[in-house]
Amino acid sequence: MIAYIIRRLLHTILVVFAISLIIFFSVRLTGDPVSVMFQAGEPTKEAIAEVRKNLGLDEPLYVQYGIFLKGLVTFDFGESFRSGMPVIDLIKEKLGATLALAFGGMAVAIMIAFPVGIVSAVKRGTGVDFFGRIFSLIGISFPNFWLGIMLILIFAVNLKWLPSSGFESFKHLILPSITLGMILSGILARLVRSSMLEVMNQQYISTAKSKGISDFAVIIKHAFRNALLPTVTFLGLQFGALLGGTVIVEQIFSWPGIGRLIIDAINQRDYPVIQGGVIFLAVIMVAVNLVIDLSYTLIDPRIKIGGSRS
Amino acid sequence: MVQKVLEVEELKVGIKDEDGGRIAIVNGINFHLHKGETLGIVGESGCGKSMTSLSLMGLLPAGVERHGGDIRLGNLNFNSFNKKDWRQIRGKKIAMIFQEPMSSLNPVYTVGAQINEMILNHERVSKKEARNRALEMLKLVGIPRPEQVLNEYPHQLSGGMRQRVMIAIALSCNPEVLIADEPTTALDVTIQAQILELMKKIQDQLHMSIVLITHDLGVVAEMCDRVIVMYAGEIVEESLVVDLFDQPSHPYTKGLLASLPDIHEQKEYLSSILGVVPAPGKMPAGCRFAPRCSFAHERCKEVPPLFEMENGSKVKCWLYEDGEAEVAAT
Repeated sequence: MIAYIIRRLLHTILVVFAISLIIFFSVRLTGDPVSVMFQAGEPTKEAIAEVRKNLGLDEPLYVQYGIFLKGLVTFDFGESFRSGMPVIDLIKEKLGATLALAFGGMAVAIMIAFPVGIVSAVKRGTGVDFFGRIFSLIGISFPNFWLGIMLILIFAVNLKWLPSSGFESFKHLILPSITLGMILSGILARLVRSSMLEVMNQQYISTAKSKGISDFAVIIKHAFRNALLPTVTFLGLQFGALLGGTVIVEQIFSWPGIGRLIIDAINQRDYPVIQGGVIFLAVIMVAVNLVIDLSYTLIDPRIKIGGSRS
Repeated sequence: MVQKVLEVEELKVGIKDEDGGRIAIVNGINFHLHKGETLGIVGESGCGKSMTSLSLMGLLPAGVERHGGDIRLGNLNFNSFNKKDWRQIRGKKIAMIFQEPMSSLNPVYTVGAQINEMILNHERVSKKEARNRALEMLKLVGIPRPEQVLNEYPHQLSGGMRQRVMIAIALSCNPEVLIADEPTTALDVTIQAQILELMKKIQDQLHMSIVLITHDLGVVAEMCDRVIVMYAGEIVEESLVVDLFDQPSHPYTKGLLASLPDIHEQKEYLSSILGVVPAPGKMPAGCRFAPRCSFAHERCKEVPPLFEMENGSKVKCWLYEDGEAEVAAT
């Protein structure tokens, strides 16, 4: 197990190195950051050269990349071209909000999708199943910007129950979490339903029933535990995606998250922030995957990680 | 007279079709089971033997229902059962083991947990007592190093061991009736023999009655006291196991026996019964076996009743309308 984790951490270093290469050079294909910095008037050549020198952009590319790599090792992603603040501080500042939203969205998705998926599978072919599947379809096909705006309209503007933007308290978390969670729960409910259907056909479910235990125990203890594996894989991947891919929801709710930080940085060609942000998300993504893989051993005793199968 | 443990009368099982009608899979069968007896139910795939056994447990799959007949266990009539009543007899009074030991145990729980679950569900005992009982059961079914196996997962055991564990689970609450649906079909021949021997031994120890569902006539000869031969949802012959092998009566039974290879005889081809079991809903009128029967005649357009023979066997075939006279001629 320990050896396995170490091996995975070494992989992570490779992944980060590859991503650093890709992000460093692809960002530089988008154009000169200095040209978007002077919005008023025509800058002099000297002024431009001055700025380039200050930002370190006058060095050859390989030198710039070397400096970037050296920074990575010491967790120093450089300073923002715009604000001059260290990128690591910018990320730290947004991390709380991003994590809160990711967990919130996840929690909503699980709370909705698990019961819907399970009931749908157990009552397969009935009206309940029909509604469950319609729900999934709606969840999958609704654009989240529309849902977000509708929620703001109803609960923030008309009813005035909940705040519509920012992140100051738990209340602020509710609407964005529902928006994210609803979309996610559509796919998740379908996945839970199909995994449950597959498991419910297994012989051990008949065995469980033949013991005379309650339907609830058969469904939750015997079927759901087995249906959990594909679900956890999906949730883990989604969690990674939620960390960086919630830009639309972050925009709607003016959520101070990392997704928005990176999008703003892209618009401003703020190289260090883009590089730092993307690398940071990549590391989190790899870490989440590792945690999922390790969690398999807890869910399914047949899976042994790192060692030989007994 | 030996005590009857289980009585089944006019059992009808059918699939609901889309127009709200019903397609019969088991068409009004009668049988009973004595205490300590092993009753074999044999027949080809699709003859309704598994559905018969599942209806005894109240575990028919979705869309299939029992729509007629009585099942009585001692003085309990299953017709009046609600969900809770069913749960109380499943495992406690009637237990079941299945065909596939590889997939009958839940892969994510230990063997011990799966036996305990059955015991704790039916008996008022502490977890520790349940565990001791589970350990005893594992010893009873001949599992080596039972203490360790309690904490092992099914994937760590072989097929034969898993079937032993299944038997341990099924017998842990000392049921009156054990239904074994093809318990050895998925196992190696040597393991098959061990499992059958084990079932016999435990049956003697616990005075339990067994309904053994199989398509393997060898297993029937080995295990059963009496045999029911099913064809297309009906019982076509019922007799003592000795009589079945000595003097099979129904043309279908004869066909089944003829298709067994004989160790003393060298044949180029194994004989087989031509044709297949008709699909539910497409049953021929009259005798259901007639289209595949080489003795079929005019009379077979009518449904034959079960004729009782001198030796007590019952046969659903017009050839036996006047006793056994005509049979000799064939």
